[in-house]
Amino acid sequence: MRAVQEVHTKWVGKPVERFEDVRFTSGLGTYIDDIELPGMLYGGILMSPYAHAKIKSIDVSDALKDPNVVAVITGKEVKEKTKLVRPRAVRQVEQYVMAVDKAIFVGQPVAAIAVTDRYAVEDALELIRVEYEPLKPVVEIEDALDPNSPRIFEELNSNIIMEDRLIFGDVDGDFRRADVVVRERFRLHRFSSTPLETFGVIASYDPGWGELTVYANDQQPGRSIANLSYMLDIPTNRIRFVIPDVGGGFGIKLIVWPFEVIMSLLSIKTGRPVKWIQTRTEHLTAWTHTPDAMIDVEMALKRDGEILSIKVRDVENDGTFIHTTGLYSMIKFATICGCYKIKSVQFEPVSVVTNKGPVVQNRGVGKPGMIYVLERTVDIAAKALNMDPAEIRFRNFIQPNDFPYTTPSGEVYDSGDYPALLRRALEAVNYQQFRREQAELRAKGRYLGIGISASIEPGTSNIGYYYITRMKEGKEPDFYGADEGASVSVEPDGKVRVVLGSMDIGTGHETVARQVVADVLGVSPNDVYVMPGFDSRTSPYVGYSGTFSNKFHDVDVGAMIGAARLVREKILKIASHLLEISEEDLEISDGRVSVRGIPDKSLTFAQIAAIAYNKVLSLPPGMEPGLRATYVYKSPHCKIPRRDHFNVQVPKSSSVHIAIVEVDVHTGSVKILRYVIVHDCGNMINPKIVEGLIEGATLHGIAAVMMEEFVHNEEGQNVTATFADYLKPSTTESIKYEIYHHTTPSPFTPLGSKPVGEGGAIASMPAVVNAVEDALSPFGVRIRQLPLTPDRVLRLIEEARTKVSK
Amino acid sequence: MKVKVSLRVNGKLYSREVEPRKLLVHFLRDDLKLKGTHIGCDTSNCGACTVLLDGRAVKSCTLFAVQANGHEVTTIEGISVNGQPHPLQDAFRKCFALQCGYCTPGMIMAAYYLLSMNPKPTEDEIRRALSGNLCMCTGYVKIIEAVRMASEIVSKGKR
Repeated sequence: MRAVQEVHTKWVGKPVERFEDVRFTSGLGTYIDDIELPGMLYGGILMSPYAHAKIKSIDVSDALKDPNVVAVITGKEVKEKTKLVRPRAVRQVEQYVMAVDKAIFVGQPVAAIAVTDRYAVEDALELIRVEYEPLKPVVEIEDALDPNSPRIFEELNSNIIMEDRLIFGDVDGDFRRADVVVRERFRLHRFSSTPLETFGVIASYDPGWGELTVYANDQQPGRSIANLSYMLDIPTNRIRFVIPDVGGGFGIKLIVWPFEVIMSLLSIKTGRPVKWIQTRTEHLTAWTHTPDAMIDVEMALKRDGEILSIKVRDVENDGTFIHTTGLYSMIKFATICGCYKIKSVQFEPVSVVTNKGPVVQNRGVGKPGMIYVLERTVDIAAKALNMDPAEIRFRNFIQPNDFPYTTPSGEVYDSGDYPALLRRALEAVNYQQFRREQAELRAKGRYLGIGISASIEPGTSNIGYYYITRMKEGKEPDFYGADEGASVSVEPDGKVRVVLGSMDIGTGHETVARQVVADVLGVSPNDVYVMPGFDSRTSPYVGYSGTFSNKFHDVDVGAMIGAARLVREKILKIASHLLEISEEDLEISDGRVSVRGIPDKSLTFAQIAAIAYNKVLSLPPGMEPGLRATYVYKSPHCKIPRRDHFNVQVPKSSSVHIAIVEVDVHTGSVKILRYVIVHDCGNMINPKIVEGLIEGATLHGIAAVMMEEFVHNEEGQNVTATFADYLKPSTTESIKYEIYHHTTPSPFTPLGSKPVGEGGAIASMPAVVNAVEDALSPFGVRIRQLPLTPDRVLRLIEEARTKVSK
Repeated sequence: MKVKVSLRVNGKLYSREVEPRKLLVHFLRDDLKLKGTHIGCDTSNCGACTVLLDGRAVKSCTLFAVQANGHEVTTIEGISVNGQPHPLQDAFRKCFALQCGYCTPGMIMAAYYLLSMNPKPTEDEIRRALSGNLCMCTGYVKIIEAVRMASEIVSKGKR
């Protein structure tokens, strides 16, 4: 679909104020905890207090004596009534949505209850007596790699659940030809974008209709409906899935579904609706984090700075909940080459199982980690070659005339002008001038640093890539391609209604849908109503419907354009028939079809709708009554994945971030003095929404490298399970950004737009860390571990000083 | 055992029987059905539940409903002026100062309290006043802009 030339852009491209904000600023949003159903019970989950323990017995008799308690279920019943959790990137092991004989992380559900009152939940949970036999926990990656570590999944030979090696191009030859090889090991810690609203579910089973209704703040209804159906053996035509307003997602809410299964079991058992709202402590304890990782990189370069090849061994601590295991590794193919022409690539994805708990796809999934490693390595290579960090990037950038550009593994880049982004950013910070000032200030004992990061931001996942390593065993992907559905109607009174297959998670989708559909149909956005949230009874969902992987601007917008265009065509046909004028001579504006040049000769949408719905005998012969259309748009740029050639994602935004920091070498504190972003997300549909997403995402990345960290002790206990211990940035830590746009429209998407939402979180991590390392270069500091808390910065300086004095 | 509480919320008097351990936020949400006040944590760190108690911003998850007995509470539902949005509500919308909207009621109530004490705050004062309210979406840039925009109107006494 090439719609960009054809869609009038009266509203698309404008900073239209968000319609949804009227309700959100008035306290009238409807989030999951705001919903109450008649006869509703409250659900509670007993979570394992041990990281690794045998469950010897569970005694629920006292709980059942509590008059508030209506039902209790344990892992034994879950095992009888549901099926195994299905993995995607790794082989099947025995795991249910609740612990059965053994708990393998703190926070794993062990039992669940349904009670009559919100306040009785905690009381009743205390009445369940579980006898545990604690086992030695496996906590860190090194522990898991030790072949003698206690096995967590008995059916595996070790705690390595995935290990593979993929080679694209002549890696050995490129390393032989290299003048310099840079080797480094980087560690990534656990963090999370922590949506302010925790997980919430209401399950309501109607035994009369045999229909299960699930309300949840879930980001991926397509997949969750499939999971519920599979787990509970209820056909999808008897599952109604409803998503209200969602208080932030960031990928974290791709894993609400295990709780949907548990609450559905309780509702089926009690015949009443059951609501469960996760506590913040439950959320931070284990549901969920990014994985900690140990990433070894080798980069082969020529003396002039040309990058020939890269080898990455990526060990991710993401094996505990097998549904999401391996995903942080596999998506790295989307960004492994970053903005650079790299001839060959070797990638070794490894997933280990520990007792730290599940991970889920947090904002950018494995891409922030990959770009972090790449952009750190490029800086280190520049130092090894005695080159300027800007110069080495210019030397290797994919050039504007190289697009479409294909990486060695098959990833296709649609458009971009990376040299222009970096030039603009360097101009903005007055780079040469800064270097002079930096030298002068250093002489006075002040340590300023500048950090550059160039990054792509891919969007629209071609999800079959999850299965790349399993293809070795002949396992076929259960899904490939990228699509989404939308329905558009002109209702009997002439007003427009839009229903999306995906939902808003704070991303402004209602407003953007109004802008796009208004332009296609020729009406005002005020006359377009976008159904908030999701309801499987009306939402035209597909296998992977939802809001994730930066796909909205692409396939979701394609779907609404497609549906709106079908309705528009029908309106023109009816008007042509009634006015006895050929369609080519008609035009539409402000909800009115008129004859070109004779504005008085016209019909309003309301008049046409009256014919289409009510006076159906006046329709053109053979035409189906009504003005409703559903369209599923499929990206034409996905390839069926093969192990030797595949694309992980479709369009690629790009950006250059430059951070200027000052490090206080006496306290270890880091202050960001300036932050410049030059951004290319193609044609922007709503520039103010784009700006907000850039700012929010960038703060996520900055906070991840500066302050946020989930810390587990040697028992596998998360000792940072509240916002008092897990530090989030507030207004006093947040900074201002200087944002510039440089637009290269995408030829791969319906409106020439490109992804936005994850990019800030991808590009910011290395920008800040490169800046801190640059500031501390007089000490010879090398940063390998995050976050850069003051104590860690001081330690790095101290270690570097000790090394020099030795 | 339940005890009686009587308090004025958004100008209206309510009397209810509640468990002494019931938090004010649950009283507002579950008993009075004022769902605009949200819950984002359980340790008083996030500020999503911010309301005014006798005109002062408080986190309604740190008070029991009984502690509000005889007091006056204002929530996000109670700040519109003659049916028109408060300047803060307008400014949040105009500045794109929200994304998912979950923190917004608490953020607006914290800002409301700030402007009631200090109608023309500096940027630094805005940052300090809102530092107990977390927003995971926006990066705060536009929130600070919105409070500044609203302060222009409030300080001129237009509302």
